[in-house]
Amino acid sequence: MSLSYLLRRLGSVLLVLFGVSLVTFAIIPLLPGSPARVTLGVQATPAAVATLERQMGLDRPLPVQYVSWVGGILTRGDFGTSLISRQPIAGEVTRRVPATLTLALAALLVGLAIALPAGILAALKPGSPRDLGVSLFSQLGVSVPDFWMGILLILLFSETLGWLPSSGYRPLSDGLAPFLQHITLPALTAGIISGAIMTRFVRSALLEVLNQDYVRTAHAKGLPRRKVMRKHVLRNASISIVTIVGLQMATLLSAVVVVEIIFAWPGLGQLALTATLQRDYPALQAAVLLSAVAFTVINLLTDLSYTFLDPRVSYT
Amino acid sequence: MKRTLALVPILLLALAGLAAAQTRGGTLTAAWAQEPVGLDPHIVSAQSSYQVLENVLDTLVTLDAEQNVVPSLAHDWVVADDGLSVTFHLREGVRFSNGKELSAEHVVAVFERILDPETGSGNAWRLAGVESVTAPDAATVVFELAAPNPSLLGKLALDKALGIFDPAGVADGSINTRPIGTGPFMIADYQPGTRVLLERNPNYWEEGLPYLDAVDIRIIGDETVRRTALITGDIDWVFSVPPQSVEELDARDDVVIDAAAAGAYYYIGVNMMDGPLADVRVRQAISYAINRDNAAAAAEFGSAMVTQDPIPSTSSWDFSYAPYDYDPERARQLLAEAGYPDGFEMEIMPNSVMANTVRAAQVIQSDLAAVGIDASIRALEWAEWLQEQGDGNYDTYVCSWNGMVDPDEFFYAQHRTGEVFNFTGYSNPTVDELLDEARVLPDPDARRDLYEQVNRAIVDEAPYIYLYNPLVIHAYRPDVQGFETRADQAVRFVRTWLDR
Repeated sequence: MSLSYLLRRLGSVLLVLFGVSLVTFAIIPLLPGSPARVTLGVQATPAAVATLERQMGLDRPLPVQYVSWVGGILTRGDFGTSLISRQPIAGEVTRRVPATLTLALAALLVGLAIALPAGILAALKPGSPRDLGVSLFSQLGVSVPDFWMGILLILLFSETLGWLPSSGYRPLSDGLAPFLQHITLPALTAGIISGAIMTRFVRSALLEVLNQDYVRTAHAKGLPRRKVMRKHVLRNASISIVTIVGLQMATLLSAVVVVEIIFAWPGLGQLALTATLQRDYPALQAAVLLSAVAFTVINLLTDLSYTFLDPRVSYT
Repeated sequence: MKRTLALVPILLLALAGLAAAQTRGGTLTAAWAQEPVGLDPHIVSAQSSYQVLENVLDTLVTLDAEQNVVPSLAHDWVVADDGLSVTFHLREGVRFSNGKELSAEHVVAVFERILDPETGSGNAWRLAGVESVTAPDAATVVFELAAPNPSLLGKLALDKALGIFDPAGVADGSINTRPIGTGPFMIADYQPGTRVLLERNPNYWEEGLPYLDAVDIRIIGDETVRRTALITGDIDWVFSVPPQSVEELDARDDVVIDAAAAGAYYYIGVNMMDGPLADVRVRQAISYAINRDNAAAAAEFGSAMVTQDPIPSTSSWDFSYAPYDYDPERARQLLAEAGYPDGFEMEIMPNSVMANTVRAAQVIQSDLAAVGIDASIRALEWAEWLQEQGDGNYDTYVCSWNGMVDPDEFFYAQHRTGEVFNFTGYSNPTVDELLDEARVLPDPDARRDLYEQVNRAIVDEAPYIYLYNPLVIHAYRPDVQGFETRADQAVRFVRTWLDR
């Protein structure tokens, strides 16, 4: 992998982010309603709305607002001030990133713990009852909406069994036990669904490799099954699997929105939803921009990882 | 009102609880359904914000549980003989939670800020007619009025929009997240979207209060999760429970349902600028066509009292004027008289944040279909709803007015010609005159006569079609003691304690 390739990729990431910032900035104020009206509620007099909009800086032309926003980010890392809580958004985002990242990672781990064994088991004996069982599970998992799954888990594990708290977030710094208690249900909710999706990909990736001539040859020359799996099958399937894992991680970062709302998890998704409902433009822009950053960076890392997994891949 | 009867034993139990010795200390974990939309009392309008401030700020005068105006930061007050000024004498030795001693200068600065148009306060209308607020000495505040205003005291007491805070917080911006007040608690931590932590104000002026060390307010948006968190004891107190769960929760031993009739009403606002709805007979027809029992049952699962005028029957200002008993036949007749024998098309605009308004709209839609009116429902989320309502882009909408005590609050801003919250376009010079006169009359009986006329005129002309008065319903664990659900919807933890 050459340095110039890396630079080119980074350049295209920046270009994408610039595009995203421009589009979100242009589109978000088109939402009907205004933050001044949300703040004032039904008691909004036209004069009060006008005054608040001026204080919020919304009376300036959009290009002026855009330049001052982007300028703030580039020069000071300043994402502006929330129009509703009037707090700096950068601090708000920083406070929420760990919550969302831990939840997405935990959900990915749960998903992998399901998808890898289930996908391998299914692929080894396609068409068997075992394979059918796995297909059924993954079909079910893909179809179940996350908010419903979350509430079912809460009703079972919190209300009926009383094992786990129904909502809330404790950082790891509060201790391992409270952290695990609080993260288990949301991670299961997002993880089971993500696992169901990944299971299908793992299965088909493995099947494809298993049907290759070189695998038959490996078997024919008398290699033990284990060795065939490890050296020939898994290694070759890993590129597809890593791709889907990368995509899932990126998807999870935004898919946990619903899970965050249900479990009162103080993450970015919750911030984005509240910002949307309250028309808190700068907060929403920051949330959108951040998820774009996460998506592009994860895609980049996924692409780069191919060079390590497959020596034939090289980027120039 | 089956439910209220069922609550009597609970209230008795609560009274018995009050007789027991209060325990000091402990943290009450409370769940709000919506997050506060900022905490600057002059700017915010959301219940979720006011109910935090309810425990942080004091007003000059306040309302007791029976909704009488009683002393708070002012230990007494004098209305001048001509009614053109009110003099408040401040309680001595009151300190803000930051230790600063409260003086009349602070009070004046707070009122000057809300009256300043540059503040952009949506609450300044409550002080309409106040010409100046001055402090002749450190313990006295004088309101000069353009005209006598008997409802001023009620407005000052109503909620914490007119609460007193340390004005130093305006300059440094902390007013948005941590207004410093003289109330029983102070804001120790505010994390938008997740949590507000209230801690005991060490300088609180009422001896021995509050009992609690802290109130930890969590935001749990999902109603099922809120219910589960209460049942499992993860939280002690919830702002609201899903109306469909009230009966089930009421039957449980480990949850107390505490309900009171609210100074609030749900109604249909009618855009009477043009079209069929400009005809009073059409509006009356709609009012006759609606089966309010069904609408309230669908919207609140029965936790409401149907009404045809705004003021609830539990208020001393109740008029119980009810000319519109469910009568589809009469509705059809009125429509025919107005020239719409085959009905017409119209739109109902509920908002999706208040799911009860959507459910009410669905019942209303089918009732209207029965008399030939083809109503469609356009449910909008809150921000868009506010925009459309403010711009007058609707035929009818379903919404509520909350936290009202004085009759002036039930009628004036909504129905006087050209007033800011008169969204319907209603204009009746006689009603205007009555409203203007009633708000300056000192004699309660004379005021009552005037408001009775206003009430009758507005119900008859139907710019608003009143549906029901809701109940305020809070739910908490049985070991939460000394909490009182109030008609003005105020959430006050000052006398709450934990029996554990």
